[in-house]
Amino acid sequence: MSSASPSYGSRPWTFYVLALLFTLFVIFLYGPMLAVLVLSFQGPSASLVFPLRDPSLMWFDELFNPRRTGDVVGAFNRSLPLALVVMVLTVLISVTAGFAFRRRFKGATLIFYTAIASLIVPGLVLSIGTIVTFRYLGLSASWNTSGLGAHLSWALPFGLLIMFAVLGRLNPSYEEAAYDLGASKWQTVKEVVVPIVFPGMIAVALFGFTLSYDEFPRSWLTVGSKNTLPLEIWTMTTNVTSPALYALGTVTTIISFLVIAIALSSILFIQRKRSRGK
Amino acid sequence: MNTMTAKATPDTAAGTRESGEIRLVGVTKKFGNAYAVESIDLTIPHGSYCCLLGPSGCGKTTILRMIAGHETPTSGEIFIGEDMVVGKPPVERGTAMMFQSYALFPHLSILDNVAFYLKMRNVGKEERRGKALEMLERVQLDHLKDRMPAQLSGGQQQRVALARSLITNPKVLLLDEPLSALDEFLRLKMRGELKSLQDELGITFVHVTHTQPEAIALADMVVVMDTGRIDQADNANTIYNRPKTPYVARFMGGQNVLTGTVESNAGGAGTLKSEAGSTFEVKLNDSSATVGSKLSIAVRRDQVTIRRGDEASSVGANSIAGIVEATEYQGSYVKVTLRAEGDEFVANVSDRAFFAEPVETGDPVVATWNPEDIHVLSKVDTGGAGDSYLDGGH
Amino acid sequence: MLPTYLQVAPLTVVLTLFFVVPVGLVVLVSFFRYQMLVGIVPDFTLKNYVDLLTNPTTWTLYQSTLKFTLIVLAITFALGFWIAYFLVFHVRNLLTAIGLFLVCTVPFWTSNIIRMISWRPVLGKEGLINSALLNTGVIDQPIEWLLYSDFSVVVAYVHLFTLFMIVPIFNSMARIDKSLLEAAVDAGASRWGVIWNVVLPLSKTGIALGALFVVTLVMGDFFVVTVMSGGLSGSATSGIFNDLQFLNYPRAAANAVILLIIVLLIAASIFRLVDVRKELVR
Repeated sequence: MSSASPSYGSRPWTFYVLALLFTLFVIFLYGPMLAVLVLSFQGPSASLVFPLRDPSLMWFDELFNPRRTGDVVGAFNRSLPLALVVMVLTVLISVTAGFAFRRRFKGATLIFYTAIASLIVPGLVLSIGTIVTFRYLGLSASWNTSGLGAHLSWALPFGLLIMFAVLGRLNPSYEEAAYDLGASKWQTVKEVVVPIVFPGMIAVALFGFTLSYDEFPRSWLTVGSKNTLPLEIWTMTTNVTSPALYALGTVTTIISFLVIAIALSSILFIQRKRSRGK
Repeated sequence: MNTMTAKATPDTAAGTRESGEIRLVGVTKKFGNAYAVESIDLTIPHGSYCCLLGPSGCGKTTILRMIAGHETPTSGEIFIGEDMVVGKPPVERGTAMMFQSYALFPHLSILDNVAFYLKMRNVGKEERRGKALEMLERVQLDHLKDRMPAQLSGGQQQRVALARSLITNPKVLLLDEPLSALDEFLRLKMRGELKSLQDELGITFVHVTHTQPEAIALADMVVVMDTGRIDQADNANTIYNRPKTPYVARFMGGQNVLTGTVESNAGGAGTLKSEAGSTFEVKLNDSSATVGSKLSIAVRRDQVTIRRGDEASSVGANSIAGIVEATEYQGSYVKVTLRAEGDEFVANVSDRAFFAEPVETGDPVVATWNPEDIHVLSKVDTGGAGDSYLDGGH
Repeated sequence: MLPTYLQVAPLTVVLTLFFVVPVGLVVLVSFFRYQMLVGIVPDFTLKNYVDLLTNPTTWTLYQSTLKFTLIVLAITFALGFWIAYFLVFHVRNLLTAIGLFLVCTVPFWTSNIIRMISWRPVLGKEGLINSALLNTGVIDQPIEWLLYSDFSVVVAYVHLFTLFMIVPIFNSMARIDKSLLEAAVDAGASRWGVIWNVVLPLSKTGIALGALFVVTLVMGDFFVVTVMSGGLSGSATSGIFNDLQFLNYPRAAANAVILLIIVLLIAASIFRLVDVRKELVR
């Protein structure tokens, strides 16, 4: 592709160097996660390191029937609905806002840069701000009020940026064609625009879900007395010294992978349907 | 489409369509402070094939979009039939637009794309699919009804776009550069099909293009535009043979534009003298062409003959001396480009005449024509405008 | 115009309620007084700032954060640039490139904390690397500095944040017309000449966005540095954390404001280099 010398399909040496770099990077990326996966099946000798002795599922059992670990199930029962609510709100809010930004309006730049600022402000700063705000309002912090808001302030800018990219590529003549064919504004949105940008909306949903599900700094002060899952894990890192921690890591990673798989395969399904017919 | 025989479409819209005459009165469109279109008056007769022709940025697409209702004029009125349509949605106007990119909905099958208009009118699923299928049969694509747009070739996509427009039973079909995305072979084929379709439907077609041969081949009425204004609106023959302005003459190609000062004007017969001293005899009906005023004339490239010239002093009237800059073989004729009096001058010489007495680059030659082939332009040439399009038409 | 404002209203409300007001209050509270047992006392005082800026610990912590930021920025940029370059210009099949790109991005959607602690069994004293080196006889004492050191902090940062470089740089590079590279080669540019004169300038936006993410993430981090250094290293946010332990909100707020100002200054200087919004809509 970028080879300067005459080549008959043979690759330049840089390809091999970079391919090696890439392979090492992938090992670097996934290796530790694999280590955790393997060690979560550690036997009762309860060592936190290799080698794996007497593989068993006991640490998974420990997770769901806690004796020494914290309230993992309870934390999961808060994290999952919170992530789902953040996901739905992120899609709704960033898609509608994305449409507004296709037109010029007064204050657009201000709102845009506020969103960007919300993206880059350190999570801890926002956490403090939210908790102080709630104190002044006389409200107590809770995962489904202040926690939800803190997560949205982080997920929404991401969603907005994705919608910018998606809508930037949406050819305005689709909407004009719909208008030309007698569709009302609402019909145009429902029948033409939403179906076309649907893959982008799935991407926004994926971001909304995982940013909330895995968020730590913004949850730290804002979820109140009941922990979400990442906070529970954090607590466990300091006081649990059994492979139950790894078992928990394996379980949350599997859930993350499930969510990613659902999102990516639905995007792939839509794209394939469009390029190959029903 | 040349096999279409049925008249018009299953009509679900607005009953019988009356006149598809389009009338623009003083239409102006400004984007910010820039005029895209400036106080245009234009009447496109019912049932005609009209081409809006001009270089990019001349405002032709803006006019089309204003007729379609995708753009609102800054001022002025647009009539379709008897109705003032400014502010009305496209369906109430009786217009249908075919987009340059075709804008086929990528998430809908071909059949559902064509049925879209009926769906918007809440026609039942069976009925609308049935009607859409009839329409697809007419463009000979019924066998592809379940395909998605991305799976079709450019030519097929265009037919679907056409079917989708026609199902609205429009009295005006608006086409935005409909052939520009096709390769040369398909372009010629579709050109013919568009023309016969228009003959058959008898509705008004307004077709935007920047290609002169396309406009001349298709249009009953060619509207030549130049930066927001209409330079000339006439039938193709008139536009090509009797351009009104130097701009049109240059843009349509096929003409040489010469400018001179009126030396004498006696009883309709006048003479012009160019700056370099050549004299041209012209028929002048216009009494305003007083002695001493400037005048531009045009002479068709294929009505010019050339011979080897000796000295500039031996050049008589109705001729111009120059140096051959290039010769280009075009099949049935040879295009000889001269540099004469500081300007480009082109003679299209029949191949037989050329090869009988060939000239080469650098040769001094004299180009001559008959005074009756001279055509007087209504504007004095200010030079340059549209130069880059000189070679657009042949 | 009205529908436009209605459409943007939910976003504006959320951002106001959960970003503008909280950050505004942080700024406000940073000027308040802290009193034991009472908490926040609404006076106007600069004491919190004076305390912080005259305290050498603050400077040490910021120095340490800045050091981590620069090291991590350099490594993630080098990795991000070359990996994106490999995917865009060396992988010939588009589907393969997208597949490999996804392989790089999938971990982004998994828990950061889990990814962080997963280094423990690898880098620890009895971890994979040490035992492998011991077994092969390369060393006879386990290497201590692999875990709970500046090294492990950098490893974790690179592990967590390289993605934020790869994705935007990949996006910018994917938009480069391949014929530009061929044109540069035609004009006599060497392989490095092409990278330096064509690829790098055209990836500017992606690099800037990636740098923005990495800088703000590292500067704002407290948890990685705490866990991975075993409490040995601190970051700018460690001070905030300590103040919060004592419920000293005013001083935590003052500290947060200082951090915020530094982060915003860096962000602003990056935004001066590229018009991010224009590039996104392009």
